[in-house]
Amino acid sequence: MARIGVFVCHCGENIARTVRVGDVAQFARRIPHVAFSTDYAYLCSSPGQKILVDAVKEHGLTGVVVAACSPQLHEPTFRRATIQAGLNPYLCEIANIREHCSWVHHDPAMATPKACHLVVSAVERVRHARPLEPIKVPVTKRALVIGGGVAGIRTALDIANAGHPVVLVEKQPSLGGNMARLSETFPTLDCSQCILTPLMVEVARHPNIELLTYSEVEEVSGYVGNFKVRIRKKPRFVREGVCTACNACAKVCPVDVPNEFDMNLSWRKAIYIPFPQAVPSTYTLDAARCVNSTLESKSGYRVLACERCASDCNVKAIDFDMKPEIVEREVGAIVVATGYRLLLGEQAEECGYGKFPDVVDGLEFERMLSASGPTGGEVRRPSDGKVPKDVVFIQCVGSRDPRHGVPYCSRVCCMFTAKHALLFKHKVHDARAYVFYMDIRAGGKGYEEFVQRVMEEERVLYIRGRVSRVLSRNGKLIVFGADTLSGQQVELKADLVVLAAASIPSSNGDLASKLRIPADAHGFFQEAHPKLRPVETLTAGIYLAGAAHAPKDIPDTVAQASAAAAKGMELFSKPMLCREPITSQVNEAACSGCFECQRVCAYGAIERKEIRDRKGELVRVVARVNQAMCEGCGVCTAACRSGSIELCGFTDDQVFAQLGALGPLPAAAAR
Amino acid sequence: MDSAATPLAQAVDASASAWQPHIIAFVCHWCTYAGADMAGTTRRIYPPNVRILRFPCTGRMSPLFILRAFEQGADGVLVSGCHPGDCHYVQGNYFARRRFAVFRALLEFLGVDPRRLQFSWVSASEGVKWARVVEEVTQGVRDAGPISPWGRVQDHGRLALVRFASPADQAGRRPGEDERAPVLAELRRAASELLSSGRISRLIGYGESSLPGKIVPVFLDNVADASVLAWTDGCSANLAAYLPAAMRSGKVGIIVKSCDSKAVVGLLQENQIRREDVVLIGVPCTGVRVNGRLASKCFNCDGQVSPLCDLSAGGARPAAAAMGVQVAVPPDVRDADVGYIESLPLLDRWNFWQNQFARCLRCYACRAVCPLCYCETCIAEKHRPQWISTSIDGKGNTAWNVVRAFHLAGRCIGCDECSRVCPANIRLDLLNRRLAIEVERRFGYRAGQDAVASPPLASFRQDDSEEFIR
Repeated sequence: MARIGVFVCHCGENIARTVRVGDVAQFARRIPHVAFSTDYAYLCSSPGQKILVDAVKEHGLTGVVVAACSPQLHEPTFRRATIQAGLNPYLCEIANIREHCSWVHHDPAMATPKACHLVVSAVERVRHARPLEPIKVPVTKRALVIGGGVAGIRTALDIANAGHPVVLVEKQPSLGGNMARLSETFPTLDCSQCILTPLMVEVARHPNIELLTYSEVEEVSGYVGNFKVRIRKKPRFVREGVCTACNACAKVCPVDVPNEFDMNLSWRKAIYIPFPQAVPSTYTLDAARCVNSTLESKSGYRVLACERCASDCNVKAIDFDMKPEIVEREVGAIVVATGYRLLLGEQAEECGYGKFPDVVDGLEFERMLSASGPTGGEVRRPSDGKVPKDVVFIQCVGSRDPRHGVPYCSRVCCMFTAKHALLFKHKVHDARAYVFYMDIRAGGKGYEEFVQRVMEEERVLYIRGRVSRVLSRNGKLIVFGADTLSGQQVELKADLVVLAAASIPSSNGDLASKLRIPADAHGFFQEAHPKLRPVETLTAGIYLAGAAHAPKDIPDTVAQASAAAAKGMELFSKPMLCREPITSQVNEAACSGCFECQRVCAYGAIERKEIRDRKGELVRVVARVNQAMCEGCGVCTAACRSGSIELCGFTDDQVFAQLGALGPLPAAAAR
Repeated sequence: MDSAATPLAQAVDASASAWQPHIIAFVCHWCTYAGADMAGTTRRIYPPNVRILRFPCTGRMSPLFILRAFEQGADGVLVSGCHPGDCHYVQGNYFARRRFAVFRALLEFLGVDPRRLQFSWVSASEGVKWARVVEEVTQGVRDAGPISPWGRVQDHGRLALVRFASPADQAGRRPGEDERAPVLAELRRAASELLSSGRISRLIGYGESSLPGKIVPVFLDNVADASVLAWTDGCSANLAAYLPAAMRSGKVGIIVKSCDSKAVVGLLQENQIRREDVVLIGVPCTGVRVNGRLASKCFNCDGQVSPLCDLSAGGARPAAAAMGVQVAVPPDVRDADVGYIESLPLLDRWNFWQNQFARCLRCYACRAVCPLCYCETCIAEKHRPQWISTSIDGKGNTAWNVVRAFHLAGRCIGCDECSRVCPANIRLDLLNRRLAIEVERRFGYRAGQDAVASPPLASFRQDDSEEFIR
């Protein structure tokens, strides 16, 4: 005979405001098999947990229902308390009466019965639950970091410094990401490359880091502690470790290509190194642009039209026969740090982007300011190379615009625009700088002071309002805007316009699907909880760092990167991981051996088992679940017509009991 | 305890004055459950009528759970999972999408208002969408009104409205008696040969019964018995139903018509028989008669011997198509009846089927005669939990007939044996046919054609249509 205890949490006012918790506890006492019920202000507190533990012991409870917040938050807490009370943790069930009830309903007269329903459903679930023992699995103490920007670099270094091997995968030929493109960083104005490149070199020289540049993650399988990753290494046609980056090949290469690293403001050759401090310091032959455009031909029949680079290479590092390579690695944790790119959409076009060469985005202007940039740090406009005197900076181009851009704030634009204006004024002393802004959001250490300094000391004119359009007249750009503070239309003549375009995630939905982690409507990866688990994803063992999660500045990115590393190391600190014992089991006596379950299983966990009689004659063949491979999705159970497969923790018995308890209200009240 | 003091008692008072939709939501733990949490965290207010049941994946949700929810008095059911491509378990939602598409069609055919059974994809970040979906679904169910008691006819007077047009007896081919004598001779010869050579230890065929003109299945172990074999237009039984059991005692020969051979394909596909242990003797069939009329299944069947067969009894008739002759295939006459039912208003449909199911005796003759109902233990006999009530009442009968039809979706080869043997004359053939149409239209799949094909509900395409999902 089951004796279930029901514990109803007030969560301060959070639940008690809309759900009459006392009534719910009183109701629970009337549910069959409930031996005890109570309510308490904060069950998750230690006195709250003590109430649970004591009640189990005092009343001889065989199962526990906690009606409180979402199981995503405190299920582990109450499961631990259940263990402390001497019960199996899987005999504890959470009724989510906060996120799913009190927070989404106004009327206590409706919310209270709903809470009662959720409780009675949870009671039925526990009553039909069986004690389960966690499955112990080993942990592969190696991490995969996807993305070699500052976030990925920091994570990789932290984990590697802790003594664990790391595989760092970067899509581009070099580490560095967007940060390598920046000139100076706000608000301290240290040189971006000067602080980043030492880290890049450290990564390259670290004995625990395996650096795979020019590579992409192709497939991820497995689960926390035991992921299997397939990585595709694109051929760079130059042997790493042999190349000395002497630049002899590029000197003779006949093909000029816009340099992506310089945001297409300069030229590179088909064989190139993105920037001098690139890591690895190896040239890359851009197969798509090389004269020998059929370098990757599968037929194997190839005529080389140009071999100048190879013949001029002193160390013979160039290998036209290089093939894409698939690298397979087993890792225990994955950190996603794929970063951001700029959205240059409808709004940017209205501001003349793509139409006038002298309308540039923030990253292009960074390259124009950078000492390593195409102009060597002198600000010269792209159209005619003249030094601009009047520069208009436009903020929120695409950001905070649900209709034409993205609804969110890109967070870094206010600051980098102030920085841009300051650096520009420092470089061109007699210049005038104007900033169109919606609001100034300078919430960071030293940020507000920095913006004030730009406004007051550098005499940059800030105009509150939006720009309607940008035209070109007599070699000047005309910026039409509104000054919403004075209520006047503004028309400014400019030599250069810089757009603070919205940040969007650089990865497309592809990676989210491969990793099976959720992304929000804009493609940013979703954290497990916005406050409490900001670097974890809902998939155990996969963590987030940097702007792939949401727009972030460098300090926040680095902080999150270290946090993600810490999460990975936490995983690696245990010799064995406990896996949820939610796996399928076959009732062999009832199995008819149609193997529909095998057809639907994504993990190959269903095996054929031969049943033989005493003489060794084959009687029949039935399905059997390999517990080590079963992930517990339960797709097989619903495929089985005879109901011969059960998913532990989500048995048919439990579901039917819940459905039985969830009859319409009058029936439930008649109990 | 004073019941008036309990909140539920108060709620009952409220619900007595104003009906509130009662909706059960089956949601996936990884997406919609978290999305509903997100709605809570961001305080999106939505109607309090939905009760969430958490599952690890939509793929775990047996469509039969929906049936139970309705049985228990739910006015509506919402199923919500991960967007295609986002499944935590790679592909669970793709299988779920197929299962639910078929199950939904079945319930709609039975007269369940489609507003009562809704589907959505809601991701972990779509708290706003979850709130909107709950609002829309609640409104839909509210518009549909309180559900009529499950398993009961609503308005008896309206039953008279259902009148099937009787299939035109004259249309289509008539059984040609003259062709049957040589076929029978060939059958007897083949049977003797197989049995005497020891290639098979048993032959399943048709024989005369003690009642004049009545044909029964016969199981021959001796060569001498070959003369018992018969071949008339009364040979309607699908002998493949006996095959899995018969094969336990050695190699078996079996006489198969065109329709029967499709059932053999199904059994091969589902690992119930080994091809090398069975000898298929195909008979060219000119159609069978049920109750004196040409059976519905025969109208659009060419009666050809399946290429799967090892032997053909007098079947030297090459298919017309093989000779390059265009043969107009007459439409399946059952489709007219299916179409007629679908043309009825939902209430009439519901009443028609409830009236049909009310007659069900739960004799399970439909199951016994079906070649694809081969389970060791049928779910109808399963206890703990009991999926299907054994009581011969509206709920139990509806559950049995819904489960039977759903379990045959994409598998039924349309031999109509179930409806032929049904002592209560329930139109089981129409249920099967409706789902066969749905499976063919959605997945381009026809049962009984290919022994190595993956069954439609055990496979998926990423671009399967999902017009019914929000």
